[in-house]
Parts: sequence; structure tokens; C-alpha cells
Amino acid sequence: MQSANTFLRKIASSVLPFAAQHGMRKDLFPLSRALSLSLCLKQDNSCSPSEKLDLDAWKKVMKAGLQEEVSETVSDSEEFSSLAQAREILAMWRLAGRSVPENITDEQLKAFTECPSKSAKRKYLKFLYLKELRKKKDKIKLDEKRQRRLESQKEAPTADETRRDSFMYVQASAMDRAYNWRVAQAMVFGQPLVFDMSYEEEMSPRELTNAVTQLVYGEGCNRRAADPFHIHLCNLREGSLYHRELLKHYREAWGKLLVTATERCYTEVFPKHQLIYLTADSPRVMKTFDHNKIYIVGSMVDKSIKTGVSLARAKRLGLETAALPLEKYLLWNSGAKNLTLDQMMQILLTLKDTGDWKKALEFVPKRKYSSFISKPVHELQKTLNLINTLKLGKRQEEVRKQHAKNYSKKLIQK
Amino acid sequence: SVQPPEKPLQAEEWNRLKKSFESPAVFEEVMFNSMVRYNSPVDVAKSLLTHVAKSNGDIAYNLLVKYLALCVQQGQTSEIRDVYNIMKMRFKILESGAYNLLIRGLSNSDQWRMALTLLEEVKKIMIPSRTNYESCIKAATRHQEMKLAFELYHEMLAKDLVPTLDVLQTFFDSCRGMKDAELQKELFGMLLYLRENQIYPHKTFMRSIKLWFESIPGGNWRGHLTNIKDSGQCPVCNHQLEDSDLTEEEYDNLRERIIRDVIHGTDMFRKTTPEEFEAFQTFVENRLPFDIVIDGLNVSHIKPRKMQCENLFDAVSCLAKENGRLLVLGRKHMLSNSSNWKREIMKQMQSKADFFFAENISEDDAFLLYATLQSGKHCRFVTRDFLRDHKACLSDSPTRHLFRKWQRGHQIVFLPSVEGKQINFLPALRYDCVVQTTGDTWHIPYKDIFEEKYSYQVPRKWLCIQKK
Repeated sequence: MQSANTFLRKIASSVLPFAAQHGMRKDLFPLSRALSLSLCLKQDNSCSPSEKLDLDAWKKVMKAGLQEEVSETVSDSEEFSSLAQAREILAMWRLAGRSVPENITDEQLKAFTECPSKSAKRKYLKFLYLKELRKKKDKIKLDEKRQRRLESQKEAPTADETRRDSFMYVQASAMDRAYNWRVAQAMVFGQPLVFDMSYEEEMSPRELTNAVTQLVYGEGCNRRAADPFHIHLCNLREGSLYHRELLKHYREAWGKLLVTATERCYTEVFPKHQLIYLTADSPRVMKTFDHNKIYIVGSMVDKSIKTGVSLARAKRLGLETAALPLEKYLLWNSGAKNLTLDQMMQILLTLKDTGDWKKALEFVPKRKYSSFISKPVHELQKTLNLINTLKLGKRQEEVRKQHAKNYSKKLIQK
Repeated sequence: SVQPPEKPLQAEEWNRLKKSFESPAVFEEVMFNSMVRYNSPVDVAKSLLTHVAKSNGDIAYNLLVKYLALCVQQGQTSEIRDVYNIMKMRFKILESGAYNLLIRGLSNSDQWRMALTLLEEVKKIMIPSRTNYESCIKAATRHQEMKLAFELYHEMLAKDLVPTLDVLQTFFDSCRGMKDAELQKELFGMLLYLRENQIYPHKTFMRSIKLWFESIPGGNWRGHLTNIKDSGQCPVCNHQLEDSDLTEEEYDNLRERIIRDVIHGTDMFRKTTPEEFEAFQTFVENRLPFDIVIDGLNVSHIKPRKMQCENLFDAVSCLAKENGRLLVLGRKHMLSNSSNWKREIMKQMQSKADFFFAENISEDDAFLLYATLQSGKHCRFVTRDFLRDHKACLSDSPTRHLFRKWQRGHQIVFLPSVEGKQINFLPALRYDCVVQTTGDTWHIPYKDIFEEKYSYQVPRKWLCIQKK
């Protein structure tokens, strides 16, 4: 929080243009008036600093400022729509120092009023607030960078010229062409990798947007890989929320994207016996990466821990399932075993290239595990069991002794 | 944090303090926070406000709220009113934090009626919190405005707010000794509210209830604290408590909902498969009714140092002695003759009870519930599982309460005894642990401590109230 002064300045600069833009009346924002007021007050008081302390002077200041304005505010008695009212509440929350975004669109405001509970509202606002904060920081960084670049260009405009001659340049577009060539090849000869897009009903709108972001990341990783997969987006219905979100991300590029998007199910596209559904709930653990199989990844972000949803899909279709051998290679620390789509993509790409589990599982977030397991698991388990039995055995002995002691005490007391 | 000064300061002194503070931008805020924490005199806070007002020409909203918090903390009613007036003039609406403070502060003063008008104001922009109502109700009861208090109480119930036990207790405390049939009806209604929502009062609340009953003029009520016997008989008045059986209608309702919400759920494949469930259904239909349904895997873990099939064997033979038909639910891997599951012992057991083995990745709990409910009201089930995840699958709270009631009456929990082979079974409660009445008697279970953590624990202590 800033002191009131800087705070005022900020409000005045951020809210006012917004209000003007949305055709709101100026007197909705009483703070804007205080600004002009503060100037004259400062002048008034500066001359008499050593008088006796009047504790209620602040009330006079606050009220004095208001009397001038009464004529303005009284006229203001229109009915407000619920959205305008919500906007006012948000403004007050922001003044109270809660995590509320400075600017909010009508669409977001509507989503806010439609939140089912108070805590849902609070969470949504915090989400918007953090997003806004991040954007602002990014913008500042970008500006700084631009500034620096301009300065360095000013300083050494000639050095650049000489360098251009002595190095061979690979342009970004050339890289893109090379990548696209490889992916195009993968579309003909590559191993398919299926993303099952049938989870729209299981997800909240936010989970869905997260899923699409992850998918876009994953596709990017695949494109840059030495030996990319042929990505299939199965069960992707035209006009579905998923489809629309993807379009939002890729825009024109969607049509030129080197992936196969289809409304059909993977079972219709591929022979059933080749399919393996990857799901953390699977009882079967994947041992090696099979180049002749077609792996399916459920493109679902599951924040509310719905266990067994993708396993149910596989069971229904009678498909083989598998889970990554996370337990076998990693000393798991915390967090769910389900990984994001881009992490899955990275892991599968590495496996495909090298077949090295250790290398592949580097892509599991570090916070989720404490270390790689060097010894085979069953040996570790054995030592763990040994320690446990020793511990337990000892404790049981202690309990028995304690019990016997108490019992004999009782006998003596009798 | 900083220690607030003890006496009001002059402007220069505040300025000096602010400059010495490590981050001057938040100085006022931090200072007000610590004033609230140390409960500084309001004059100190006022001097800071004056300083801020004079140097900025304005006081930010959050500082006003913090000052308000300090005034509320110290019960400075006139200051609270002043701050409210200033805020009201300054801002078109206030936010919930300020309203909460205002309502709390004013409801404790002689100007409590203003808290009521504030409550009306809050209602215009949002749903008031239950503590808002609590403050107003307490203020009304304190001033003997019982009618108003009950109106507010019903209003909050209508808004789906759950009243705190504190509010309910206030009603019982303030109605003590009153001879008003309407009031009595209201309070009986509150006891029934406890019954419907399976809420148990804590010890001090229970005392308030007891004292109220005993204070009803001409009521001749007497209360005693007691423990109910396992048979469900009250040792004080010999009254037999309600049994935990559900009515026909409730039972059918629960069974349907279990099948719909727990077994089918959003996707039947998550817990089982349609073929498997159908196979299980025909299996159960052909052998109905069972007396006890056992969760085999759960029982087999009772003593960790024993072979799993031995544990199960002990439990089955123990239950087989006294009861008729047993059904044991398990998974297919139990048949695979491993170190924990010996084939001979499994064979032996299968002569004593019916067995159903589900797929290894299916959930046997759903089968347990289905088989028990299909067998009829007399059938009970054995598991140490609290079945909380299944309760959570049920979509509305009345059904969940029904489930809990049924669970209390039909679940047998076993405990491993410290020594010896014996397994002890904690039988299902025969009586229903809930507030209950016959008109002439009231039986109210209560918690010993204020917060008992687990919802599956039912109190053992009761308040028995009877009419002489």
C-alpha cells in the first residue's frame, strides 16, 4: 500500500481515463475531487505548525472537503444496474486493500457476479489481480529492454556493421521451415501420439483454458524435436469450447498447423490392439517405450482431483492402460502423480529418442520428488521394512513392558 | 513491526517517525495495524489521522477502516458513529469489512438499533454474513426484543446461513424464565433444527438448554446428565431411545440414491463396469438376504503382522458363530495363492460364507453398500472405513444425513485386541444418536469439548429432560 498521497495520484491517473472511456459520470469517483482539495489544504496548514494538537481536526478536514461537494452528489440518485454496482463494490474492495484488479472488463465483471459463493468470488478476483500484476511487470521489463537496446544502438552503431559480415546468420524463418519440414515428415512416417479431447464436460472453463495452453506448449516442443510425433487431436468437435480456445491461440496458424485434428475417436482411426491409454490411475506400469504402439494422453486439467476419469474412458473402450513408472525411478515427495500435457510430451519425446527413463523423467517438476532412486526399488523396500520391523518390534516390546509394570503396580496397591 | 507511541504526537514527530521507518510508503498502514494489535489509546490514532489529513488533505479508506477497527475494539461508540458519517458522506457505498466492524461495534452499544439499519443497508448490496446476523440478534436479545431477534433468526435461515451454536445458546439464555407459549415453540423449533441437521450442542450450550427447561414456569421439567446404555435405554427415565432404523420411504430413497450417485455416479466405469455390476447384481439376487456383509480386504489388514487371509479367517469364523448368512467382498487377486493369501484357507472360508471377487481395479466399497442395502434393514456391514468419500458422492445434505444415520445403525467396526487371537467387534448402535423428544421427554446428546473434530464420532453423553 502507498501512503494516501501517492495512492490518490494513482487512482486519479488510472480510474479517470477509464471512467471517461466508459461514459461514467465523474462524480462516481469522489477521490478525484480530493486531489484538487489537497492542494489548497496544504497551503493553509503549512504556516501554523506549532499550535496545540487538535485531535479531531481530521474530521473537520474530511467534512470540510465534503460540504463543497454536497451539491454535486445530491443530484446523483439514479438507479444503477447490477454490474455498475458490482464495479463500485470492487472499487471499494480495492480501496480497502484487498486483492482486486485495477481494471476489469464487463465480461470479467459478469463472470464475477455469476460466481456461486463468496469464496469463489474472492478467488476469481485474486486470479484477475495476479494476472494484472504479472502483465504490468512484463510490460515494465519489456520497456526497459527496449530502452536498453535503443541506448546500445546509439552507442555503437558501427560495431554492428562489421559483425554482420563475419558471421553466418540463420534466420528464425529458416528455422521454422526446417522444423515444419520435420513435422511434415512425421505426419507421413512418424509415430502417432493421440490427445483425447473428450473431457470438455469434466472441466471448468479455467481448467479448459489451462489445458489448451499446455497443449500449445506441448505442440511447440514436438515441433522443435529432432524426431517429432505425428500429433492426433481426437474427439475434437467442431465449434466446441476446446476448438474455439485452440482457434483463439493459433488464429490463422490453426489451418496450417501440422497436426491431425479429427472429430473421430482414436478407436476409429487406429487398430485397438495398438492403443495404450496413459493415465496415472492405471494399475499397469510402463516398462519401456514401444515404438509400435500408439499412446493416448487425456487432455484434461484436473484441479478438483477427479480420480479415475481417464481410466474409465479406457475401460469403457477396452483399451490397454499404462502409467509412468514414477514410483520406480523417483523418490516421490508431494503433489499429484498426474503431469501436465507439455511435461508428458517432453517425457515421451525423450523416451522416443533415447529410451532413457532417467533422462525422460527429468521433466517431472523438481518440487514433486526429492531424488532419483539409484538402487532397485525392491531392495529399498526391503531395508525400509527391516527398519520398520526393528522400530515396531522395539516399540511393542516397550509397550508390553510398560503394561506389565502398571499391572504389577495395581496389584501392589490392592 | 513498530511499537506505537503512547501519547498523541505532533505533526513533526510523526514525520520524524515516518522518515526513520524502513519503508515510508506503508508507514501509516503498519502503524495502524500495530495500534490495533497493542490496543493503543484512540487519541494516538487520532493524532496520526490528523497528521495524515493535514498533509494529504484526505485519509485513505483503508486507514479509516483500521481506525474503525480500533474504535470497535475499545467500544468507542461516538467515534464509530463519526467515522460512519464521514465514510457515508465520502463514499457512495462501503465494503463488507467496514460494515462488519460497524455492525459489531454498534450492536454492543446503546445505539444498537443503528446496527439494524446498517444490516438493511448491507442487504441492498450483498448477503450479510452470519456474524452480521449474530451481532444483531445478540443485541436484540440483550434488550429483550425477542420478537425482533426471532425475526432476524428466521431471516438468516431463509438465506441459507447456518447459525452459530453461540446464537442458539443466546436464545436459550435470554428466554430463561419466560412464560410465553410462542417463545417456547420457537425454542423447541431450534432443538428440532439441531435434530434435522444432526448437530450436537457442546457442554455449555447443553447447560443453557437444561437451565431453560428447568426455568419454564409451571413446566416442571427436570434435567439429568447421563450415559445411554448400549440397549438404548435411558438410565434416568427408562425411556427407550428411537432406534436407528430408517422408514420404508427413507430406506428406498437412500438405496436409490446410492445406486444413482455412488455406483453410477458420473461414469460407471470409474468404479466398476456395467458387466461386472450386473454380474454382482444377479449374484446378490440369487443369494439374498444376507445378515452381514464384510469388506474382506479391509478386515484382512486388521493385524499388520499377521497373514492377511488369517485375519480374514478369524473375522469370518467369529461372525459366523452367531449370525446367519455372510457375504465377503474381495478382489480377484485374493484367489492367486500368494504369500498373503493361501489357497487352502480361502477354500475353508468359502464354506462358511459367500464370496464375491471383484476386478482388481474395481472399488469394492460400492458393492458393499449395494449388497447391504439390498438385503434389507436388518443387514449390517463390517468395515473400518468411514465411507466418507461415498458420503461425499451424495448430492444433497438430507441424503447425506440419511446415509450417516443408516451408517451409524448398520456399521460394525472391529478393533484388534491387544493380546490374544480374539477380534472385538464394536456393534452398530441400536439407537439413533440425535436430539429427540416424545413431548414429555427430551433426550439431547452433547459434545464434551467445543470442537470435536470428526463427523463420524458420535457423542456418548446425553442430557435427559423429563416432565415430572
